[in-house]
Amino acid sequence: MLEKYLKSRIGDAKKLVQSLNKTYDYVSILGNFVNTKMITSSTHLNSMDEVDNECGFVIKVYKDGRYSEYSCNDIRGLKASEVIKAVKLDKIVSRDFKVKMLEENEHVEDFLREDTSKLSNKQIQDSLTLTRKQLEESDEKVINVVCRYVKRQTSKIFVSNKKTLSQKYDWINVMLLVVVRDKDVIKSNYKAEGEATSDKALSMFKKHAPEVKDMAIRLLDAKPVKPGKYTIITDPSISGLIAHEAFGHGVEMDMFVKNRAKAKDYVGKYVASPLVDMYDGAASCLSAASYFFDDDGVEAHNTQIIKKGILQTGISDSLSAMELGSVPTGNGRRQDYQRKVYTRMTNTWFGKGKDKLEDMIKSVKHGYYLCQTNNGMEDPKNWQIQCTAEYGLEIKNGKFTGKVISPVVISGYVIDLLNSISMVSDKVTVHGSGMCGKGHKEWVYVSDGGPYLKAEAKLG
Amino acid sequence: MKKKDIIACLKANKNISDYEVIISDKDSRELFYVLDHLEINRAVKVETVSIRIYVSNKKTTGSSTVTVTAADDRKSLSQKLSKAVGRAKAARNAYYPLCEKTTNIKETKSAAKDLNKIATNVAEAVLKADTYKDGWINSTEIFVSQFREEFINSRGVDHVSDRFKVEIECIPTWSNGKDEYELYKFYESNVVDYKQITKEIKEILNLAKDRSVAKTIKQVKIPQNIKVLVKNDMLETIVDNLANDLSYSNVYMKQNHYQKKDIVSDNKFELTMKGSVKGCCASRKYDGHGVILRSRNLIRDGVVKNNYGDLQFGYYLNEKNISGKLPVAQIKAKGTSTYKKEKHLIIENFSSPQLEENSGYWGGEVRLARYFDGEKYIPLTGFSIAGSIYEDLKNVEFSKEETITSKYAGPKYMIFSGLKIS
Repeated sequence: MLEKYLKSRIGDAKKLVQSLNKTYDYVSILGNFVNTKMITSSTHLNSMDEVDNECGFVIKVYKDGRYSEYSCNDIRGLKASEVIKAVKLDKIVSRDFKVKMLEENEHVEDFLREDTSKLSNKQIQDSLTLTRKQLEESDEKVINVVCRYVKRQTSKIFVSNKKTLSQKYDWINVMLLVVVRDKDVIKSNYKAEGEATSDKALSMFKKHAPEVKDMAIRLLDAKPVKPGKYTIITDPSISGLIAHEAFGHGVEMDMFVKNRAKAKDYVGKYVASPLVDMYDGAASCLSAASYFFDDDGVEAHNTQIIKKGILQTGISDSLSAMELGSVPTGNGRRQDYQRKVYTRMTNTWFGKGKDKLEDMIKSVKHGYYLCQTNNGMEDPKNWQIQCTAEYGLEIKNGKFTGKVISPVVISGYVIDLLNSISMVSDKVTVHGSGMCGKGHKEWVYVSDGGPYLKAEAKLG
Repeated sequence: MKKKDIIACLKANKNISDYEVIISDKDSRELFYVLDHLEINRAVKVETVSIRIYVSNKKTTGSSTVTVTAADDRKSLSQKLSKAVGRAKAARNAYYPLCEKTTNIKETKSAAKDLNKIATNVAEAVLKADTYKDGWINSTEIFVSQFREEFINSRGVDHVSDRFKVEIECIPTWSNGKDEYELYKFYESNVVDYKQITKEIKEILNLAKDRSVAKTIKQVKIPQNIKVLVKNDMLETIVDNLANDLSYSNVYMKQNHYQKKDIVSDNKFELTMKGSVKGCCASRKYDGHGVILRSRNLIRDGVVKNNYGDLQFGYYLNEKNISGKLPVAQIKAKGTSTYKKEKHLIIENFSSPQLEENSGYWGGEVRLARYFDGEKYIPLTGFSIAGSIYEDLKNVEFSKEETITSKYAGPKYMIFSGLKIS
């Protein structure tokens, strides 16, 4: 069910839109209500909190070729004159330039996707504590175990002259961190996953806890990689990181408007090996960024970005699409109601191929199997990339040698990396547990993934 | 909801042994430019209220948070608090006390600033730097904000703080006639200094120019074991990591690399964590538990002397004089590097600074560096540096030049030798 408070404000939003329409050519109101429950069972600290909760509105208006926004706690009793006064600029420092006005179609709809499992806080906490205790007792090198459950319940309304939309959706993230110590050497390993229901999400602990701990202990002996160019096989999390960082940021079309993305000049051209397909969209799969409409009130899409190595299109928020004369793809997202909309990725992933993972490993003469996302940074203008994997396993003559490297930084030129993809596995996994910033701020929930990929890359 | 209603709800729930309330007001004006045209302007006027309730006995402390929203009234808040009590009882930790009243901080509410006017003037200061034929500011985001925060707890602490901040995100671009190159600039200050803004934007534009003509390390041979100078966000990341290693929480969790009396470096530098340093935006007088911040000297003469941190873990470690969670790091170097007289490499801009706290691996892909070959500086790009911070700190040097960033005051450059450059 849509959160009661937001539902009670739909009427107020309609009245305010009507009232502001006397002054402005376009008016919309977005209402956000986000409730986040976080339960942590860890060796040193237990908690059961409501965190990052959010409740507020943002009013967007357009006149004379420019948009203005006002973010506030509540719209009940808010007068049009207060909004007009808040966004009025006495002096405008700007070249004379007019942005186009948003055009919308009639749309009235309510959307709902709720966590269907009805686990109590105690059941969740017990499940986390069981895993934690098992891991703590399993090896004396284990010095800290953190088991965490985060349920995010998002409700939104969007009201404009032509649209009245509401949505409620839930998403659950779980995370397991194991820290180990042997004398002065400290290492850690983690696993994070996301699911639409609590029971599915919690099943991760049972499934993966032993392997997370075992790898943490193996990492105690890990060494940095000798910098150089290697054959790599990426696990789905690293494939996703490459999709997201290497190419995803580069096709966010607000960067096209600013002429900040090289991809703008490559639509219709090869940017990757013909084995590569790539997708993004809140409707492309069910994951962390699966919503029904974006913060511009545009319905979720599934956008194919790369088809057989050729760049098809970018992704966009409404304003960027208006300026570029294209169709918005439902990628307009705000960190929260206090922030501006930007074009943002949602669920971003490479499509599957035909290869078997075993054959891919067998084909490597000397290289590394790279696992577990750490972080990445984009450079859409110059197509340099930097992606960090938590660790890599050495492969020689088609077999694992047992040697572990950590951490591993992949860097280089995006197109070289994507063109070097020579094998693509036949199964896709999308990990719904990440967050993404734009530049160095504006954090939103995203997922990414793909199949296993074989490529050539510079490691350091 | 009004403060008195919130406090009344908290006092009415007899299961709550203690509470902390933080009421924050934010008033902000924001301008978003594409090139030199204003695409959108924003105003933000919001209040957020966060409560942490405690359910304690002699051995354990349970706590849980509640957010008060515009949707709440006394009835709904009382229900939320009852649920929070249930959560706090279920998630218990070893006992720790709350901050007791000593002297309350009461910062006078600064005179209302004309945020629109300041934002407009900042925009003019930024665009004033945009005077080059081949270089320009691609996009700019300006945030001018005023914050007022009240911290109240059930032990009589009632602090009020008042803050002001100017933030600018700016993307400078330069064309070499064939390709365009960009860098990233984030400016943050708690004072308005239009001349400084123009100066810093000009500087970053000129660095973008350097990137447009930068050579690769295949084209310019760099000597092995060259001195590498890091600054800004990489320097902040290293200092953050060092301070975090010495925090009460890391020590308590046995995740610290350094113990008291350990030698961090042969360079006899000092690291002091402080509440406030003039010019540092992160400066605070009290922390999230209301503890009035007291400076703590963590490293003296290169040797670990103290730890610092928040109330809970300080109490667990039996610290008698808990510092509070200090936000600003200050380094004082004894003896400065003579790097200017020899070949060296200044890393101007990383793609994203990396530092893995457990292994100590640090480095990243370099977007722009300047190599001094003994006579002149040569811009370089497209390579990576990597090191092991706990090893590299042993021989770290510092520059004579100083800097102040959001949460750091001290030498402008940290100088390392023996890093891997590839």
